[in-house]
Amino acid sequence: MEYDGDKKEIHFDRDLNNLDKFVLDFISLLDNYVLVSGYISIISGRSRATEDVDLLIPQMSFDKFEELWKRIEEKGFECLNTPKIEDAFGMLSEHAIRFARKGKAVPNMEFKMIRKDLERYAFENRIKLFLKDKMFWISPLELQIAYKLFLAADGMDEELIQDKDIEDARHLYKLFEDKINKEEFLSFVNKLNVDKRLRFLE
Amino acid sequence: MNVKDVKVDLDEMKKFKEENARERLKFIDFWVNYMKTHSDEEWGEQQRILIDSQIGE
Repeated sequence: MEYDGDKKEIHFDRDLNNLDKFVLDFISLLDNYVLVSGYISIISGRSRATEDVDLLIPQMSFDKFEELWKRIEEKGFECLNTPKIEDAFGMLSEHAIRFARKGKAVPNMEFKMIRKDLERYAFENRIKLFLKDKMFWISPLELQIAYKLFLAADGMDEELIQDKDIEDARHLYKLFEDKINKEEFLSFVNKLNVDKRLRFLE
Repeated sequence: MNVKDVKVDLDEMKKFKEENARERLKFIDFWVNYMKTHSDEEWGEQQRILIDSQIGE
């Protein structure tokens, strides 16, 4: 693994697994996107799979969405929420929609339009991650680790310690501990009010 | 043994659960260290087998 701090690029010299291939097929259809959440830990080596991959895209008009919908269908994916494009576009204003390969349910791509500031930050500050020569746009690690600490369910220590989000956060933190911008990371920790969960990273 | 004869010590089970969770965190540290001390090809192949066993092409 190599991390270029100036370019903010991560390079892994490993072969693609089936989850990476699924993600690559889907993102090849998109002009702009950022991958967030669990897949960031997995693409960075975490030893687990997932049923869904979270992806954010900028707001788009119905016409643009219609063009994308056609490309998505031509590539062999379908929307799990609805076969109707009008309904899918309507849902996008409320929540994420999911796409999977036709006839399959998992893995699926949880596809969401950017609405919140944190999502906008993730997109505007996205970084490049390479698997050999294949490039993926991912959320900045500083935000991602803090966000994973936030996502962990509320509960006592003994419940939190076995939460997969805590494990994902710890994986990223341990792997990139000497690479991340600590000030930026702690700022997100503060904003998300997860200071007390920092002990799960140590 | 019948179900009604099975005794469960919940305190003991709780301790087991906590220990299991701590072990999982320790394994994450072990795995990250493994990644740092082995080639990407080497750990990537193990991760690929795990993921591909759950996700088909």
